[in-house]
Amino acid sequence: MELSINGRIRTLVDAEIDPAMPLLWALRDRLNMTGTKFGCGVAACGACTVLVEGEAVRSCVTPLSEVKAKRIVTIEALGSAADPHPLQRAWISHQVPQCGYCQSGMLMAAAALLSRNPNPVDADIDAAITNLCRCGTYPRIREAIKTAAASMRGGAPATRDAKKPPVQA
Amino acid sequence: MKRRTLLLSGLGGAAALVVGWGALPPRSRLGAADTLPAAAGEIGLNGWIRIGADDGVVVLAMNRSEMGQGVHTALAMLVAEELDVALAKVRLVQAGPDALYGNVAMFVATLPFHPSEDEAGHETRTVRAGQWVVSKFAREVGISVTGGSSTVADAWDVLRLAAATARAQLLGAASLEWRLPTAELSVVNGVISHPSGPQGHYGLFAKTAASTPPGDVTLKPASQWRLIGTTAPRIDLQSKVDGSAQFGIDVRLPGMVFAVVRHAPALGGAPGGVNVEAAMKMPGVQRVVRLGTYAGSTHALAVVGTSYWHARRGAEALQVEWQAPPAGTVDSAAIEQALERTARDAAASDGGYAFHSRGDIRNALQNAARTVEQVYRAPYLAHAAMEPINCTARVGGGTVEVWVPTQVPGAARQAAARAAGVDESAVTVHVTYLGGGFGRRLDVDFVGQAVRIAMETEGRPVQLVWPREEDITHDFYRPAGVAVMQASLDAQGLPTGLKITSAGDAITPRWIERGVPALSGLVDTLDTLDKTTSEGLFDLPYGIPNQRIANVATRSGVPVGFWRAVGHSHNAFFSESFIDELAFEAGLDPVAFRLALLKDAPRHAAVLRLAAEKAGWGQPLSAGVARGVALHESFGSIVAQVVELSLEGGRPKLRRVVCAADIGTVVNPMIVAQQMESGVIFGLSAALHGRIDIVASVVQQTNFPTYPMLTMADAPPHIETHLVPSTRPPSGVGEPGVPPIAPAVANAMFVLTGRRIRALPLV
Repeated sequence: MELSINGRIRTLVDAEIDPAMPLLWALRDRLNMTGTKFGCGVAACGACTVLVEGEAVRSCVTPLSEVKAKRIVTIEALGSAADPHPLQRAWISHQVPQCGYCQSGMLMAAAALLSRNPNPVDADIDAAITNLCRCGTYPRIREAIKTAAASMRGGAPATRDAKKPPVQA
Repeated sequence: MKRRTLLLSGLGGAAALVVGWGALPPRSRLGAADTLPAAAGEIGLNGWIRIGADDGVVVLAMNRSEMGQGVHTALAMLVAEELDVALAKVRLVQAGPDALYGNVAMFVATLPFHPSEDEAGHETRTVRAGQWVVSKFAREVGISVTGGSSTVADAWDVLRLAAATARAQLLGAASLEWRLPTAELSVVNGVISHPSGPQGHYGLFAKTAASTPPGDVTLKPASQWRLIGTTAPRIDLQSKVDGSAQFGIDVRLPGMVFAVVRHAPALGGAPGGVNVEAAMKMPGVQRVVRLGTYAGSTHALAVVGTSYWHARRGAEALQVEWQAPPAGTVDSAAIEQALERTARDAAASDGGYAFHSRGDIRNALQNAARTVEQVYRAPYLAHAAMEPINCTARVGGGTVEVWVPTQVPGAARQAAARAAGVDESAVTVHVTYLGGGFGRRLDVDFVGQAVRIAMETEGRPVQLVWPREEDITHDFYRPAGVAVMQASLDAQGLPTGLKITSAGDAITPRWIERGVPALSGLVDTLDTLDKTTSEGLFDLPYGIPNQRIANVATRSGVPVGFWRAVGHSHNAFFSESFIDELAFEAGLDPVAFRLALLKDAPRHAAVLRLAAEKAGWGQPLSAGVARGVALHESFGSIVAQVVELSLEGGRPKLRRVVCAADIGTVVNPMIVAQQMESGVIFGLSAALHGRIDIVASVVQQTNFPTYPMLTMADAPPHIETHLVPSTRPPSGVGEPGVPPIAPAVANAMFVLTGRRIRALPLV
C-alpha cells in the first residue's frame, strides 16, 4: 500500500499491514514516525491528531483504507527548528509545553483550525481544540493560537501561507 | 502508644539499618570524578560535572526525571549559574545508579512533624534527631526518586556546590598555567580570561583542573545571580514542538516487537485456562506470555506482535477463564461506608493516631457555646498520564537493558533484575522523557512485566504498551478518604477547638512493600506514622488553641499509590472547605476570618493577602458570579487561590483563577507559573469529574469517555501566578498548586447556591 505522507510517497509492505489498521500504528510502528502519539485508542484525547487533506483527523481510529489516496501531514512536517511553523514559534514564545506528550496533537489540531479560520475567537478555539492535556497547558495554548493567527495574518513575519496546509503533498 | 514513643521506635528501626554504615565517614554528596563515567573527550571533575575538552561544554549528571515539571531546566540553571556559562552550554547525561544520586530532601520531608516543630533553625531536638537519622539513611541507601516536589530543594546546595567547586578547580588550573593569581581571573560564558590578555574556554583547563584542589569554595551570593530568578526558556521546548522528544513509547530499536497486556479484570485476579488458538491465528501475532505479579501488578497475559495494533487485536481474541482474587473481592461503595464508620467510631472514642494535639480539645468541645460537625468524603482516583504505561526491554547474553519513563530508575533496575533473575549490575536503565508522571511512574510493575516478556523473544527488544483501558483499570489509586470534622465555637462564633478524625489507607507502606522490598521491615510502623493519610489536616497553620488531628490507617485491599499532592490532594478539600464553613458560622468574610487565625503564621497571611489583593477580593462582581478562596501549605510551599466562577446548568464555569505562592527562592518564575496553572487544571479534573468506582474488584471506569478530564472549553481562560519574594531555600513547585483548587471552587459554589458540597467530585 502506498501512502502520501508529508509530501513523500511511503510504501508499506502489504503483508505487514491490514486495510483496517489505524493510520496511527502504520506511522508509529511501521514507519517509526513517533511524533504522532497514542493516548486512548478511541478518538477521545487527540494525541494522535494528523492532517488528512488539511483536516484534523484522529489517526487512532482512522483505518489505512480511508487515507489511501489522500495527503497526510504529521508533526514531523509542520516545521523545523530552522523553519518553524508560526504555531511552533508561538508555542515556544508562550512556553506552552510541560511534559509535551499531547503537544503534537494540539499543534496539528491548531494548524487545521488556522487553515480554515485565520482569526479564531475563544469559542472557535474551544470547539476546535478538544484534545486532552493532563499538565494543564490549555490557557497557554489558547494564547499561542491567537499569537500564531495574528502573525499569519501579517501581524509578524510568517514563514508559511496560512491558507494552505504546511506541506503540499 | 504515645506519638513520641511510636515515632522514636520507628526512627530506631531506621537507625538500626544505618548502624552498619555508621563507621564509614559521612560521604560527601559531591562525589568523586569517577562516579560519573567518563566519555571520550570529556573530563570529570566530580560526581556531577564533566567538561568537554574541545568545546568547554558543561556536562551535568541528571539524576531526576523530566515529566513536565521543568526540573531538567531548573537543575541546569543552578549549574550554569555557578559555572558562569549560558544555559545552552549545559548538556545533560543520565546519572547512573550510584547512591550519590539518591534523594535526601524527599525522605526527610516524609517525617510526620508539625510545621511548628520543624521551622528551619528552630527545630526541636526530636526533629533534629529524626532529620539526622533519615538524612543519613537516605544518603547511604541512595534511592533515586523524582517525587514529593523535592527536586530543586534536594539539588539546591548540592548542585551549586558541585558547580562552584568545578569552577574553582578550572580557575585554579588556569592560574597555574598562566602563572597569574586566581583572584585576577574572570569568567564569561565559560571563557576564563585575565585583563592582561590570556583567555581560554573551560575545556582547555579541564585536564589540569581534575588534579587541582579547589581551595575554599563559596557559593555566589544572590545579589550576583544572573540566571537564577529569571524566566529562562525551558531547555526541552524545541523537541516538544516538533515531535522529536523521546518518550518511553517512542523508543525504536532494530528488530523490536510490541507487546500488549491484558490483566485479569478483577484487581488481584489471575488468568486460569486460556485458549490462544484464535489469537495465534491472527496475522502479526507472535506469542502469548503469562505474567505473574510484578511489584504489585495483577496477573495478566501479554500478546507479542509486530505492532501495537496486531498485539492488541491478539489480546482481544484471547479466550480466558479469569480467576477471582484469592483474598476476596472489594467494592468501593462498601469501603467508603466502612471508612466513614471507622472515622465516626474513632471520633467518638478519641481513637486513631494523633498526628497533632494541642490544648484540651475534649474540654473545648464540652464547654463550647456551639459545636459544628460535618463529614467530608473523597473517592479513589486514577492518574491517567497522557503517555500510556510502557517499558521497552531487551534480555540476552546475561544482560538486561530497559528504556523506561520512570520516576524511580533504581527501583526499575531492581525490578528488572528480579524479573530476569540476574544481578542488578547486569541491568542498564535508560530513562526517557515522561509523558506525565503524577506519581504513577513511582511504581515499577510494568518494568517487571516488560522484562519477563523480553525473556521470551529470543533477544529481540520488546516494547510493552498498556492500552488506556488497562491503565485506568489497573492503576495504584489515590486512596478514598473520609474525615469527621468537628469544631467548638465560642459565644461570638469563633473557633476554640478543632478535632479532625480521618480514615484512609496509608500509601507509603504499600508502595514500599511492592517496590522496595529491602525496606519492608519498616512497614508496620509506617502504617500508623505515614503522614500521607494526614498531611493537609494535622499541619494546618491556623491558631486554634485546642486541636486533636488523628487518623486511623486502614487496609482496604485496593492497590493505592502516590497521586499528585498525595494526601493534600483531598485533605485540603476537607480542611479548607471546613474552615470556610467556620467563617460563615462566625459571620465573617472568609479572607478576614482566615487572617484572624493566622496571627502567628505571617508567611501564610502574606500569601493570602497577596492572592486577595490581586483577585480584587471584596470588589463587586456581576450577578451570578462569586469568588471562593483557599489557602494551603504542602511540600514546604504555601499557595492561596481565589477563583471567580458562575454556574451554567449547575456546573461551575471558571472565569479566572488567581494564585499567590511562597515557594522560597524562585529559580525560574515561568516554570513556577506553569506549575501553578498545571496544578489548578489537574486539580479541577479531579474536583469536577474524578472518581473511580470498584465493583467486585473490577474498576468501572475504563477510558477518557468514562473517566473524563477537563477540556480547553472548561478550563479557566486566565490563571495568574503571583510570588511572594523570599530568600529561604527553594521548596516544592510541582504539587502545591493542586490542593487549594477544589476547596476554592466549592467555597465559591457555596456563595452562589447556599449549599455546601462535602464530597468529591463536586458535580
